[in-house]
Amino acid sequence: MAEDLKVDLELDLKGLLCPLPMVRVSQNITKVPVGGIIRAVATDLGSLADIPSWARTTGNEVVKTERVDKEIIFYVKRLK
Amino acid sequence: MDEKAQKTIAGVLDKRMNRQLLYYLDICTRCSICKDACHQYVTTGDVLYLPAYRAEIIRRVYKKYFTRSGKFYPALSEGSEVDEKLLDELYKTTYACTGCRRCMYYCPFSIDTTWFMAVAKAMLITAGRGSQILAELAGAAVIKGESIDLFKDIIIEMLKDTEKELQERVGNPKANIPIDKKGADLLYVALAGTHTILPAAVIFHQAKANWTLSMFEAANYGYFLGDVKQAVAIAKRIIDEARSLEVKEIVITECGHAYRVMQFLYEAWAKEKLPFKIRGIVELMAEYIKQGKINLTQDKIKEPLTYHDPCQVGRNAGFYEEPRYIINQVAADFREMTPNREKNWCCGGGGGLVAQPDLDDFRIKTGEIKVEQIKKTGARIVVSPCENCRLQLDSLNEKYNMGIQITSIMDLVANAITI
Amino acid sequence: MDWFSYLVAGILVYVAVAVFLFGTAFRIYQWFRVTRSSVKLGLFPRPKSTLGRGFKLVKDSFFYPQVREVDAAMWIFVLLLHLGGIGAFVGHLRLFNEFTLIANALGDEGMAQFAMWTGGTVGIVLMVSVTYLILRRFKSPYKDLAIPEDYLLLILVLVILLLGNHLRFFGDIHVAEYREYIHSLLAFSPAFPEAIAESSTKWVLVSHVLTANLLFIYFPFSKLIHAVGTFAGNLIRSEV
Repeated sequence: MAEDLKVDLELDLKGLLCPLPMVRVSQNITKVPVGGIIRAVATDLGSLADIPSWARTTGNEVVKTERVDKEIIFYVKRLK
Repeated sequence: MDEKAQKTIAGVLDKRMNRQLLYYLDICTRCSICKDACHQYVTTGDVLYLPAYRAEIIRRVYKKYFTRSGKFYPALSEGSEVDEKLLDELYKTTYACTGCRRCMYYCPFSIDTTWFMAVAKAMLITAGRGSQILAELAGAAVIKGESIDLFKDIIIEMLKDTEKELQERVGNPKANIPIDKKGADLLYVALAGTHTILPAAVIFHQAKANWTLSMFEAANYGYFLGDVKQAVAIAKRIIDEARSLEVKEIVITECGHAYRVMQFLYEAWAKEKLPFKIRGIVELMAEYIKQGKINLTQDKIKEPLTYHDPCQVGRNAGFYEEPRYIINQVAADFREMTPNREKNWCCGGGGGLVAQPDLDDFRIKTGEIKVEQIKKTGARIVVSPCENCRLQLDSLNEKYNMGIQITSIMDLVANAITI
Repeated sequence: MDWFSYLVAGILVYVAVAVFLFGTAFRIYQWFRVTRSSVKLGLFPRPKSTLGRGFKLVKDSFFYPQVREVDAAMWIFVLLLHLGGIGAFVGHLRLFNEFTLIANALGDEGMAQFAMWTGGTVGIVLMVSVTYLILRRFKSPYKDLAIPEDYLLLILVLVILLLGNHLRFFGDIHVAEYREYIHSLLAFSPAFPEAIAESSTKWVLVSHVLTANLLFIYFPFSKLIHAVGTFAGNLIRSEV
């Protein structure tokens, strides 16, 4: 559950089109400590595949993905 | 930086040398006619963005390491060592270049600055100084290609919602968005997200096209990064998909660089001949309209509308008439920008700039000319068949309070169809 | 001929011509030695037929019409410089052989007048355009981009022109004597006729020949090679 995860940074990516959700997450990942979590809310359905593949490239992890109506909520954990 | 590292970086120039680049290295007279061609130089006045200067940085390395004149009288020809300062300059000027090739149009010798930028990017990557964000985006695309089975379910999931929207739009509960459909005539390659899928689906539905949607996005960040290997790998995902589905043609969405990579670069890079045609969706839409396969029955748009020729669609790919033909079918008050077509100014967003946050302010500043061009037309709607251009135009619209609407040709067409 | 004149206006002329010809050939060989990239990235719109491409190549290489749109002054002066260059080349051919067709029509006096006016005009036009280019080089952003070679070439050309114009306007050597000297070069026994050897403008002539020799020697190894390469570049412009 979302309550179990301690969120260090909230990102509002609603309305942004590809590749901007990925770019914003990448830009902000260093703002949380290693092991920290970004909660990013996007509306672009493309980010469903993009953000997990970005995480795999950069060695980070999407620990959880939720969908609430049109919103997609990612919990991205910084691993390094 | 030690001498070995310097030689390795300079050596990239030798490895990547080809006849075209050598001509360009030898014939530039530094006349600087290109200064008035580049929107980045015109708006910043910084010599670093003067096209001939961008090339001159590479030429200095070339003279220093590979010519007799550089060895015998370096003072005369100004050879430069590869050092941190040079790499800093190179990074700044290279990843800022949008690759619009307006400078090539005005150059009396037709020197193509993008050849210098390509080798500059290869040098930067060798030096470990390629654009990090572009590398991440390219890497993500390659990963997606390698593990498509993992992402397939996500894509199918994503398409469910879009399919519902499609069915509502066309009033047909059977309308669908096919993926992985063997024997389809055409493989349509959209962008990540659904905004380039839905309008295309509406159009294909009415044209009764036998199509299938690619699981991959058209954008190629490997190309922007300047890493040919990655660029090929990213494009190859689509080529392989088309091959296994045995389609007759690949149709690329309104995305300038993606079309160019597929049409003009892939075969030369991958050293293989493609067994199918590559087309842009704009070309196909124009064909559908001419053949009466789709009916544009809605009233024409009355608001003034202008068209921005994307560099990669116009000057660099030759599609000037098709977009205008379509626009004239759907809009009553079409106004040309000046200059237009092959002389059109770059919007400032190409070359992967919209994906590089450290260039955000720069691209807003260098978009000034485009803002003025649009204002002069008095248009309320700006149409452009390139995602990079549209993202940049959106930013300009917001930052300069232009109060305009930015749209794609697909959206115009899809909206003009009454089912 | 004194030994210095013999060296400069004799031996060095052969050296300069040889370096110019072989050097240019070598530069072209250098281009063709390198593999051509199979990537073809011409600009659009482009002519579809070979003939159309040929026309465009000639138009772009000799008249660069697009330059006029962004820098009209530069376009005019550069066009004048290049036309002047061709004019000077043609004019110097008279030192090899009389243009009998024109000479017969105009008569001796008329021909001298004609040569004075045409040659004079070309000389002045060239000087003005080179001066424009030099002044332009001292302005930003042109000077920020310039390398020593850019100034050196322009100044060398200006010196050649000043000396040439001096010979034309103030010299006391006439076409027949020049022709005698050129013919001696062609016969591989360089010598000045008496009228030149004893003339006060002899050293101007020797300096003119010296600087021209330097230009010819430097030509293939400088950016002047654009005179050949422009055709290659402009051909790529229309390829797909």
